[in-house]
Amino acid sequence: MSVYLKKDLPFEVYEIDILNSDDAQLSRISEDMGLALNTDEMKRIRDYFRAKGRNPTDVELQSLAQAWSEHCCYKSSKYFLKKYLFGINAPQNILVIEEDAGVVEFDENHAYVVALESHNHPSAIEPYGGSATGIGGILRDVVCMGAQPIALVDPLFFGPLDIPFESLPKGVKHPLYLMNGVVAGIRDYGNRVGIPTVAGMIFFDEGYTGNCLVNVGCVGIAKKENIIRSRAGNAGDLFVLTGGRTGRDGIHGVTFASTELDETSEESSRGAVQLGNPIIKEPLIHACLEANEKKLLTGMKDLGGGGLSCVVGEMALSAGYGAEVYLDRVPLKEENLKPWEIWVSESQERMMLTVRPENLEEVLYIFDKWDVPANVIGRVTEDRILKVYYRDHLVYEMDIEFVTKGPEYCRPFKVEKREGEIHGRVPEPVDYLSVMRSIISHPNIASKEFAIRQYDHEVRGNTIIKPLQGIPGNESHGDSAVIKPLADSWKGLAITADVNPYYTKIDPYWGTTAAFDEMCRNLVSVNSIPHSFADCLNFGNPEKPLRLGDFQESVRALGWMARTLGIPCVSGNVSFYNETPYSYVPPTPTLMGIGIVEDVRKAVTMDIKKRGSVLILIGETKEEFGGSVYSKIRGIEMGRVPRSDPVRLKNSMEGLLSLFREFSILSCHDPSEGGIFACLAEMCIGGGTGCDVEVPDGMRKDVFLFSESTTRWIVEVREEDSRDILEFLNKRNVPTRIIGRTGGRELRFNTGTENLSISVKELDELWRSGIVSLMGG
Amino acid sequence: MELNEIRVAVLRIEGTNCEDETVHAFKNLGVEAEAVHLKQFYSDTIREEEKRNIRDYTAIVFPGGFSAGDYIRAGAIFSARIKSVLRKSLEEFIENGYPVLGICNGFQVLVELGALPAFDKTISDRPEMALGINNSGRFECRPTFLRVESRKTAFTGSIDRDIVMFPSAHAEGRVIFPDGREEEWLERLKENGQIVFRYVDPGGRYSGYPWNPNGSIYNIAGICNPDGNVLGLMPHPERSFHPYTHCSWTRGRKETGDGELFFRSILEYMMKL
Repeated sequence: MSVYLKKDLPFEVYEIDILNSDDAQLSRISEDMGLALNTDEMKRIRDYFRAKGRNPTDVELQSLAQAWSEHCCYKSSKYFLKKYLFGINAPQNILVIEEDAGVVEFDENHAYVVALESHNHPSAIEPYGGSATGIGGILRDVVCMGAQPIALVDPLFFGPLDIPFESLPKGVKHPLYLMNGVVAGIRDYGNRVGIPTVAGMIFFDEGYTGNCLVNVGCVGIAKKENIIRSRAGNAGDLFVLTGGRTGRDGIHGVTFASTELDETSEESSRGAVQLGNPIIKEPLIHACLEANEKKLLTGMKDLGGGGLSCVVGEMALSAGYGAEVYLDRVPLKEENLKPWEIWVSESQERMMLTVRPENLEEVLYIFDKWDVPANVIGRVTEDRILKVYYRDHLVYEMDIEFVTKGPEYCRPFKVEKREGEIHGRVPEPVDYLSVMRSIISHPNIASKEFAIRQYDHEVRGNTIIKPLQGIPGNESHGDSAVIKPLADSWKGLAITADVNPYYTKIDPYWGTTAAFDEMCRNLVSVNSIPHSFADCLNFGNPEKPLRLGDFQESVRALGWMARTLGIPCVSGNVSFYNETPYSYVPPTPTLMGIGIVEDVRKAVTMDIKKRGSVLILIGETKEEFGGSVYSKIRGIEMGRVPRSDPVRLKNSMEGLLSLFREFSILSCHDPSEGGIFACLAEMCIGGGTGCDVEVPDGMRKDVFLFSESTTRWIVEVREEDSRDILEFLNKRNVPTRIIGRTGGRELRFNTGTENLSISVKELDELWRSGIVSLMGG
Repeated sequence: MELNEIRVAVLRIEGTNCEDETVHAFKNLGVEAEAVHLKQFYSDTIREEEKRNIRDYTAIVFPGGFSAGDYIRAGAIFSARIKSVLRKSLEEFIENGYPVLGICNGFQVLVELGALPAFDKTISDRPEMALGINNSGRFECRPTFLRVESRKTAFTGSIDRDIVMFPSAHAEGRVIFPDGREEEWLERLKENGQIVFRYVDPGGRYSGYPWNPNGSIYNIAGICNPDGNVLGLMPHPERSFHPYTHCSWTRGRKETGDGELFFRSILEYMMKL
């Protein structure tokens, strides 16, 4: 006899006979219905319904699957996040971690809002739609706090562009196809809604061939008095669903994102990818913000993973209330959606509001004015029970707490030390110039201009420091973008996105400290004070102890850095199951750093400004080749990965920031991938000027040129200031050394015995063609 | 007209997205400006206090963005709506000498509407030119340098610089004329003094890609109507309003933003009306 019993109703709702199911049957039900719940979770559900004395409906069971998915309830990660990362108190925190986006103080009257998340699984199946709806989702996370989005950020990770088609596992799309689709999706959505895409990264590694990663971040600005919570206001308030219609697109998005991909994913999960529509989003943002500014709303939350089923439960639970919902009042894209499909669909461009009945008319007027549909679909109730009706029939009745407070696990994990010893010495290269050419054209270093210029990074007219910096026509990658959010203030926000998975792959702990270090360096480089960050933690299957061990190490490192430096983690997202039967992604803790720029008129860029100025290296250079681009070029595993010490970093950051206050600094850039060589090459390219650099006596050339040690910057200063600057920094225990002078048309390194030189023109060409040459026609 | 009599409307529909910064550009110069939804001119569902009439204004701007998504020809839907609800009054507005400006998508709207180049009528019955897909085949966001070719317009009178930097960001900005009549069209534009901005490289020379970001004929970046009070241009003057939004300002900065000179010109023109 079937466990699926159609109920005697004029529409399709099933009762699922779990009360009489054994473990094997429970697991089959989970699989058949696409619930992605394990047997223990199914048993917990069975116990709940036993106590109720009835079987669940499909609407109820589907709803639990959404709420208890890894994506929605962080069941495998919460334990570690709470233990290591959460709860960093900082005076700037206004509302952190607990909402869809973090809210942080900007100035006396304003707050900035930060959100970062992944859209990995959908993008691997359908890159254009996946990335576009990723942008759509992150915008809603910021808008639902009552903030105007002002900047988008997009860190992307793909397999190597030159991987042969024949070597791709079945069902895996070529990285070039994925990258072009993802970039186009971000372009067409971001440009259409009119929010500038100002920062990001594109990183290539074999580990991403089976699972590309698409992370999207957004920053917004709001008056403090307009910040609104993602919770229901009061009992009796109405739930108003606004924005796009609900359809079959995006069904099971979160359960799909909470399992591994395989060769059948394309077939089975295409419907899990939502369809975006930026031209509904653009007026939706205006309407939501207008209604909020007029104080007509008591709560606002976006519909993302799990759709209505999650948003209603979460808004009610966090306010301590219950809810009643009438599913037949939800406007649909197509007829004949089953009740459970309406309840869990993740169709895009939707926002849920709670509104006092007396303000309803005013709210509906505003949405009508913007031509955005808005409909009352339920109300907030006193009890903590969620009831769902369809055509006057009750199809769902559960305690909100049971549904929304999902399970939490401390799964077994195992920490693996993969970092090699610095054994013996790597032989010096025979041909340094050829190594330099390979480094500057390496896809992880080469110009990303082809993507950056497809994104409108200047819309809204507030982009002070653009992602490409330098002489027009020669621009090079900047360290951070700077936005001026308010019309009547010179205060700004610096934004950067960083992680180097080459390091985290070898050592997730030290690699994560290096990512944090780089984030801080990039913020300081433009003369901003690191102020907060968001993390998007992309890992493999947490049910495998080694993957979870990597995750634990990464989170532990983040906590150590953040706490010691006093830079709070204000929001974030965990994306597990970035894994296929053939491969899993390198541990990828993407960080989005936000810095405060006291006066945007004093921001600093990385391009060399003039001839005859002095170049000073700040920080220590050690032999740290592990995960370096140099090691990849040489094809040698080289042991120790670059690592950070937060105490040293803090001291250096403070030293450099006070240097910016006291002296005129012409340019500043940090050595990262490709070491001092790549750093100087980029400064030369952007400034169209060469430089002469002395390799210190007694140091191996390759260590000086290519080591990727953290906590270093190169600054360009006026000749007449250079002595005072050395003294200024030495007094603050910040290691410094004059390494050379700007001028000429070549980047030239002098050692006692030889000169290595390469023309800026050649560097420029190599750097610009590094990726484009792999993209074909 | 006095400064305090100036009223600027920046028109919006769904998908226009540069109205805020365009409104700010005018407000920064001390005049009244507001973003107005097209519906406020005609819809019955709009409340009395939000209803507007085109006669309330002394200048109209079609801002940048992707009006109605631009899923068919850029600007086509916005211009069709204008034609159906506002054509007569807009025609009158233009004939009275008030300035009408289209930036980026706004330029596309004015062309689709027939308000540019407007050789023979204030608003021609059919479009007389088009803005085609960039030669690169993709969206281009980059600084563009423009030579000011004419100061006898409502928009350029106070620009005391030969070259200005207004950034470009568009996928469809290549000026195209009817097949086989390119020379004739160019001659007419030149004769009437309708070519206002042409793309140059930072050194001021007429150059190809990337300085001409879309492949426009004769490097045309912006044109006006024969009377000089309707202007459309692809680059965004509102994005270089103040010196700190200029590209590479950290390499040496101007006292006033190029964009400010542009908007100031419009005010000075209106004060002479």
